[in-house]
Amino acid sequence: MQLPFEPPASGPGTSSEPANASRPPIVVNENTDISQLSQAQLYDLNQNLLDDAVPDQPLIGPLTSMSTLRAEYKEGSRSFVDQIDYLISQGYVSIRRARGDGDCFYRSLAFGFIENLLNSPQTDVAVAIATSLLESTVPMLEEAGFQELVFEDFYEVLLSLIQQIDTPEPGGTTLTSEILLEAFQSPEVSNSVVVYLRLVASAQIRNNPKEYAPFLFHPEIGEPMDTREFCEHFVEAVGKEADHVQMTALTRALKMSVNVAYLDGRSHTGKVDFVEFRDPDSQLENNPPITLLYRPGHYDILDERTAEAL
Amino acid sequence: MALAHTRRLNKELAEIHAGTPVGINLVNADTFEKWLFTIEVMGTSEYEAKKFLLMFRFDNTYPISAPAVQFVVDDTHKAPVHPHVYSNGHICASILGREGWSPVLTVIAVCITIQSMLASCKKKEPPLDNDRYVPRAPENPKKVSISLMVSPLLA
Repeated sequence: MQLPFEPPASGPGTSSEPANASRPPIVVNENTDISQLSQAQLYDLNQNLLDDAVPDQPLIGPLTSMSTLRAEYKEGSRSFVDQIDYLISQGYVSIRRARGDGDCFYRSLAFGFIENLLNSPQTDVAVAIATSLLESTVPMLEEAGFQELVFEDFYEVLLSLIQQIDTPEPGGTTLTSEILLEAFQSPEVSNSVVVYLRLVASAQIRNNPKEYAPFLFHPEIGEPMDTREFCEHFVEAVGKEADHVQMTALTRALKMSVNVAYLDGRSHTGKVDFVEFRDPDSQLENNPPITLLYRPGHYDILDERTAEAL
Repeated sequence: MALAHTRRLNKELAEIHAGTPVGINLVNADTFEKWLFTIEVMGTSEYEAKKFLLMFRFDNTYPISAPAVQFVVDDTHKAPVHPHVYSNGHICASILGREGWSPVLTVIAVCITIQSMLASCKKKEPPLDNDRYVPRAPENPKKVSISLMVSPLLA
């Protein structure tokens, strides 16, 4: 398994997100004497750190035109703009943004997965396949050593969303795009789904140590890591970005087809490289790929439909 | 539908009532806001024959985010003297922070971690920055600024 890109630098300040005019945080460096800060300043400092980590945007946003993303880079890097134009020329005219909270890969993938089922020409078949696939993850999690008690609530949230595609909620309706978006914007539902996918990725790595162990490195230090330690700190822990290993594990476990467009501003021609994650057993016609947009440290969803067409 | 955190806590409580590890005992779990346990280190250790009271506070983000966990310090209870335990009862443990918490951890798993943290203590001494930390720390350890609790990890 070869990393097709340089591992993203993580942490605030290294994101490629365009600079927004936000209030300046209290600057803390090695010269700061924290004991000189007031209680209120310390509180602010803490809040700033939290706000930086979780900006004020929906967990998953509505479908918007790629031209809005293009506009944000217009004053900045030409190579980013060229790459955005390339994506538009390839038909990716829309973007659905995920909050930059470190869960964006899992959240985007889950949203894309359920939306694909919802748009499937035969939802009954798609839901049946997805349900049995999801059911197969339960023994997988148990094999990895997770107690049913710690994952069953998250599992049920994801399962009931999928089943709602064909079966109306008691006293409610079947799933629509609007209800799906609303569900993914509600922290309780959205974060439960994220946690479940994290546990599936972790179980896949833990249950196949020979396959994955050679690729488990500390994302900051680059040192090799023990499987259990890697999974606890960089797969199961909420808010920890997914890298190639987690993405491979998750897409294999859930037999997903995923294309990731790497918008890294490094291409001289403006072309964007797509990295494909494929399950060897699944057929693409039944399993249209989910396309994600990667910018260093962040994932969003790409879409070939316009918001108006939805 | 019950809230996710009470649903989960109910299940954890059922397991706790079925039995807890040696040295960990439930004192009070009357509400889903606050649970109390006694923690004792078994066998030979710096804390032999001592019982400490451990308090868990939950909000509706549990178990996606960590509970607030600390030792109770009042007229009848003291915090253990330990390099990662401040004299106000706050605990510096990676699993209780944003970096180390994961929803697969349970209340009992936290109790076991704290118990073994005490059991493995070689020298009873407070955190190096105890005098700086305690007067500035907010009442709830989850509201502590990251920078305020950084030095015992380096010590």
